[in-house]
Amino acid sequence: MTPAPLEVHGLRIRHDDRDAWTPDRVSFTLREGEVVLLLGPSGSGKSTLALALNGLIPHAVPATLEGTVLVAGLSTTGATVARLSESVAMVFQDPDSQIVTGTVMDEVCFGTENLLASVDDVLERAERALRQVGLWERRGENPDRLSGGGRQRLAIACALALGSPLIVLDEPTANLDPAGIEEVYAVLRELVAEGGHTVVLVEHNLDAAIDLVDRALVIDRDGTLAFDGPVRDVLLDNVDALLTMGVWLPVSTLAALRLRAAGVPIPELPLTPTELARALDAVAVMEPARPAMDPVETGASLDERPAITVQNLSVKRGRSTLLNNVSLEVPRGEFLAIVGVNGAGKTTLLQAIAGVVAPPRGTVDVGGLDPATADVRALAASIGFVFQNPEHQFIRMTVAEELAHGLEIARLEREEIDARVEAMLDRFGLRAERDVHPFLLSGGQKRRLSVGTALIAGAPVLALDEPTFGQDRERAAALLDLLAQLNAEGTTVLVVTHDMQLVADYASSVAILSDGELLSHRPTAEALAGDALAAAGLRPPPLAQAMRLLRNHPGWRSISRLADLP
Amino acid sequence: MTTADPYRERIVHPPIRFLHRLNPLAKIGATLPAMGLLVFTRDVATPLIFLLVAILLLVVGAHLPWRLWLAVAIGIPLLISVMSFSFALWTDPAQVDRSVTLFSVGDYRLYLGSIALGLATALRLVSLIALGLLAGTTSTGPDLVRAMVQQLRVPYRIGYTALAAYRFVPRFGHELQVIRSAHRVRGMAGGRGPLAGARRYLGYVIPLLAGAIRHAERVALAMDSRAFGAHPNRTERHLVPFRVRDGVFLILFWATTAAIIILRETNPL
Repeated sequence: MTPAPLEVHGLRIRHDDRDAWTPDRVSFTLREGEVVLLLGPSGSGKSTLALALNGLIPHAVPATLEGTVLVAGLSTTGATVARLSESVAMVFQDPDSQIVTGTVMDEVCFGTENLLASVDDVLERAERALRQVGLWERRGENPDRLSGGGRQRLAIACALALGSPLIVLDEPTANLDPAGIEEVYAVLRELVAEGGHTVVLVEHNLDAAIDLVDRALVIDRDGTLAFDGPVRDVLLDNVDALLTMGVWLPVSTLAALRLRAAGVPIPELPLTPTELARALDAVAVMEPARPAMDPVETGASLDERPAITVQNLSVKRGRSTLLNNVSLEVPRGEFLAIVGVNGAGKTTLLQAIAGVVAPPRGTVDVGGLDPATADVRALAASIGFVFQNPEHQFIRMTVAEELAHGLEIARLEREEIDARVEAMLDRFGLRAERDVHPFLLSGGQKRRLSVGTALIAGAPVLALDEPTFGQDRERAAALLDLLAQLNAEGTTVLVVTHDMQLVADYASSVAILSDGELLSHRPTAEALAGDALAAAGLRPPPLAQAMRLLRNHPGWRSISRLADLP
Repeated sequence: MTTADPYRERIVHPPIRFLHRLNPLAKIGATLPAMGLLVFTRDVATPLIFLLVAILLLVVGAHLPWRLWLAVAIGIPLLISVMSFSFALWTDPAQVDRSVTLFSVGDYRLYLGSIALGLATALRLVSLIALGLLAGTTSTGPDLVRAMVQQLRVPYRIGYTALAAYRFVPRFGHELQVIRSAHRVRGMAGGRGPLAGARRYLGYVIPLLAGAIRHAERVALAMDSRAFGAHPNRTERHLVPFRVRDGVFLILFWATTAAIIILRETNPL
């Protein structure tokens, strides 16, 4: 009998710099051809487990491993990572950091060349793999020219070329825009349909992955295996336990739960938009939905001057036009989401508004200030900017100094500075980390500190560049709740983001950019229901997709927010 | 302007563009003795001859983008004139032939001898650059690494790791740009002068290094996962052989070098 593609017995792992064992005593066996989804809240050890499956733990990452991992019958502790790569291939989260060579072709050949396959064999495997992911025509190009989705498809091709029967994908779409996520899942879907590969998928974007997987493994916060079974049974039979644990359910399931609580009879919980639409169409009479045009409640007061006015803003870099004649007014207290595909000009617009890159004079007004001419102190008191990677903006040696910095350059009294810093430490839950170097904080703490530093000078406007990029749902939600709270207290919030469900659930208005032009700037519900979204190459959030499929309840078709459901 | 892509697919050049068809090591090896000797020359003629030889070889044997030709055509004369004049100003008048005075400002006199010395120095530097261009503009980084692995027996683990690291450069350039603007909006611009500048750059180092180390670790894991270093050698699809023509080029270039030097020694101007 051939050995199972993967057998894990009593596996526990502790990183050298940590005390907790995550995962802790996990055991499971995969059958050939199975597609398994690995779920768990952040800190449960999902990615650590993934790294152990091809021997990177314990061979390359400093960590202690107990128990056994058998890949095709071969123990990972006894074999080298190189030897194991013939039986298990990895695809990581960041497409940039897994590209080694200079052309698509060289990249696909890299692994098989290392394994000393003959030149003919190398080329044949490369062609097959590239054709499978649709990159054969682009084999001569530099991988840098591919989109994020393209580079991740290349990473999958590299895994395929190695010919390993087991493929492990660790959050393969966390760094991609919606178009990229779709590309990657289209490739994975084909791969699964063809059969022959056993797949382990670590993914928090359940809406994208759900129709692909057979089986789900859930690891809880302590690192132990909580559930293991067919994906539908695991998710739908343990709804409450999963939600308490901090595991995100598909939006369609969440919507159905909410409707059930409101008295809509839904006998079987759905997992996908199609299933939700079918379940709702089966319901004979439904109460009319609340008007979807209801704005999200914000601290907006309409009688004041707008927080931000952008007039005929054009930004050019070299010969290319990044923004073309954009005009935009953001009322005070608004929660504005700026969306668009990669390269549409979202970040450029946000940076021009916040004066990170000085806009042309007279095109931007932030609370009466022109960022083109304002000095840093005045600007910091009117708008706070949070960079995509919080580390980029840290400049001091401790958390407290970092917070005090903006006030010190404004030359405030020492007592005033101390009082405000202490208040911020409490506000953002960083009191215990007061004297820690900002770089030593956890990811979530770094993010909170960067928001705190942006706000401490009293800026009424907060601008954030892709604040949820590369984060899991739990951390993203914690940040968004914080922003919603600030917004409710009156702060005007601007975010650039790819996550459309987040836009639907939190933003009060949406600006859609495409090729440097502003296609539309309208209240969220209208924007998500309008045509501009598709025109900009974007997809509606999963809930809106489900609602658009409804046949029997036309009044519900424009709903895109969980909050709009009864 | 798009920068040349060092990784683009190899173009097959016609035989007349022979520089592209040579092993990078042959080109570097051929020019090394000449470069070494040039450092010790003091006259005008020797570097001038090598400069002309290098340009002749480039014109015939290299297919270069017109921008590069423009840079060569304008840059070399410009560089020679600017450097001759500046070096002339710096030279100690006591060391040169003071028979002809070109002009004088107050106590200062510029002699023709100083200009001659400046010109010799400038030509020496420019001819070194031109010889460097022979290999530099007609070989790619990946080919040089392959040749080093295949002929010089440099371990491939070092060669290919260096190539992978080469990909980091544009990434870090972009990251540095973001960090600079981040620090600027946070009000770290404070102050002018070298001291403030140094402090500012020190502030960029920590986030840049933190990002770089993390990135390098990830790349290393990705390379490990794809069996890098599994065997003492790896399959090579692109052979960069050392052919007869490489040997011929090497010996001809060495012979020319020797001939020029001997000619100059026996016929001092």
